[in-house]
Amino acid sequence: MDVPVQLILNGIMLGSMYAIIAVGLTLIFGIVRVVNFAHGEFLMLGMYAVYLLSRYAGLHPYVSAVPVVILLFCVGALVQRFIIQKLLGADEHIQIFATVGLSTALVNLALLVFGADLYSVQAPAVRQSLPIGSFTVLVGHLVILGAAIALVAGLHVFMHTTPLGRAIRATAQNRTAALLMGVPVERIYVISFGLGAACVGLASALIMPLYPVTPTIGSYFVLTAFVVVVLGGMRSMYGAFFGAMIIGIVDSLSGYYIAPDLKEVVYFAIFILILIFKPTGLFGFGRGTE
Amino acid sequence: MKKVLGAALAVGMTLAASAVSAQSVKVGALYPFSGGLALLGDESFRGLEVAIDERNAAGGLKGQKIEIVKGDAVDPNQAVGEARRLTSVEKVPVVFGSYASSISLAATQVAELAGVPYFEMGAISDPITERGFKNVYRTNPTAKDFANKMVDAIIDAIAPALKTEAKSLKVAIIHEDSLYGQTVTGFQVARMKEKGLNLVETLPYSAKSVDLTPVILRLKSSGIDVVLQTSYQNDTVLFFRQMKEQGLKLKAVMGAGGGYSLTDTMKAIGAENFEGALNVDFTQYKTNPAGAPGIEDFVKKYQAKYGMPPRSGHSLANYMGARVIFDALAGAKDLSSAGVREAMLKIDIAPGKTPTGWGVKLNDKGQNERGSPYIMQWQKGELVTVFPKEAAVSAMKVGVGN
Repeated sequence: MDVPVQLILNGIMLGSMYAIIAVGLTLIFGIVRVVNFAHGEFLMLGMYAVYLLSRYAGLHPYVSAVPVVILLFCVGALVQRFIIQKLLGADEHIQIFATVGLSTALVNLALLVFGADLYSVQAPAVRQSLPIGSFTVLVGHLVILGAAIALVAGLHVFMHTTPLGRAIRATAQNRTAALLMGVPVERIYVISFGLGAACVGLASALIMPLYPVTPTIGSYFVLTAFVVVVLGGMRSMYGAFFGAMIIGIVDSLSGYYIAPDLKEVVYFAIFILILIFKPTGLFGFGRGTE
Repeated sequence: MKKVLGAALAVGMTLAASAVSAQSVKVGALYPFSGGLALLGDESFRGLEVAIDERNAAGGLKGQKIEIVKGDAVDPNQAVGEARRLTSVEKVPVVFGSYASSISLAATQVAELAGVPYFEMGAISDPITERGFKNVYRTNPTAKDFANKMVDAIIDAIAPALKTEAKSLKVAIIHEDSLYGQTVTGFQVARMKEKGLNLVETLPYSAKSVDLTPVILRLKSSGIDVVLQTSYQNDTVLFFRQMKEQGLKLKAVMGAGGGYSLTDTMKAIGAENFEGALNVDFTQYKTNPAGAPGIEDFVKKYQAKYGMPPRSGHSLANYMGARVIFDALAGAKDLSSAGVREAMLKIDIAPGKTPTGWGVKLNDKGQNERGSPYIMQWQKGELVTVFPKEAAVSAMKVGVGN
């Protein structure tokens, strides 16, 4: 019975990577109400930043998490301030086109600057396997799992105890009412978008030791993150966390028991079934809050 | 008097015109010179350029200097446009190309319709020479040759090195699931059946996958000895990293060019983890010159012209093809479609006599039947030729990773 347990372990580890990315996506979607198609490219930017810091400043990827999280927060905030903010009154499609356009522009910018070659950082300790009984887990994956739990817990505390957190929740619940109560909604949006992007900054520092970076790396992770977000109920970060675990385990098990090339079919089938039977997601708040 | 002068002038002009044409002959060079394929497209072109320089230094083609007219084919659409420009506006008598199969498939259709001979020296997709065209010739081996060579290597190289029977080895094929992986795998499965080998698993996966542990656990629980992988760069890196993490020990793993041929892949995986990985590809530079006469000379000329060592084996394959083709054209009665065809089908070069070590004998479809990819192995961070014996510079090792 070794194989199923190892598969589930691998699935949880995979899920914790998706979780961090999906929590960021959920923040942006849940609060700013914008589907950020450039999310994967933020990840790519973050990974290149981690690579550069490791290559030229000799920083360990985990240490570079601090500057990269700050950098990505700024990138997110600037995107919100100078691109999305201008389109908030416009049709939703326009906002989507703006983020899709941003995504394409960033991929091509990376191609121009870094070329299509792949870059990786040297962090052998992170790629060490830890034996747990007869199973193995990667050190780097355990760190990601720990970080994902800490991220969700930290955001929970932030959202429930600080004035800024309460203002963010108020804005998410009802934009107009929050505005009437004196919440500076536009600034909240800028901060929230920044927070969502900062999650990706954290993810990129943790993922970089495990995966080499290329201009298209974002699309490898983010398509799945969208499924996770829908599964989790679109606006719940706890939902995103557990949704990520479910998708990770489904991915791992179906890759083994069905076929590696059909695992996407399995979780996109789940995606469609959820949209049909429980469009609010497994942990959804219900539709029509706005 | 005026009439005489006019006549003299006319004669003079005709003479001048014929003098120009006597001096030079234009040939088309259709490669991706910009866009995503540009690096290896340009590398391929350099092989042709070195061959033409060499030919011009030796007096040109039938006493005429060869001039190159470049066509930049970024994608199949542009390949069609550029092939039309070369054949109808520039009116080149022959076209050389093209590195990428998609570009070659599109451009050869234009050349065939125009009746202009098209020489393919690098693209491996089989259908390029399987459409019954009369003006398409290919000097390099095809995807089917790659697949067959990989399967045959299990019998001829891997089993003897492991001191065991090839039929007792449990083999798995894993491949990325786009056209590249599917094509090579299709040929491999057929060859495995033909040779009666024990194919236990065929596992396709998406090249964008971020987790190959299900594949690796399948290989582990089936007790696989030998893996044949057709892959790009990211998935090769992921496979080797996760293979180590999950503790999968293989007796041999072999790639079909692609990600396995690139130094960046080796760097990302680490030389010690990539040690022993086998690869099938065009002839590379760590090849015994006894089995590939002219290879050292090419590297010298390349270095002198471009101020750097060759970036991949693509230039060598194009150089070899162009040399053989110009030799044939020199013996052709003219550069018409019929004249070229007669000369090309007459070529008969035994294996081991060209800079890539390939022999040349075209079948009636224009495909070289004596081109054969070599087996290489990553040893201490270098890709060295290990099979066949005549071309080997190092003995084959067994096992993967240190």
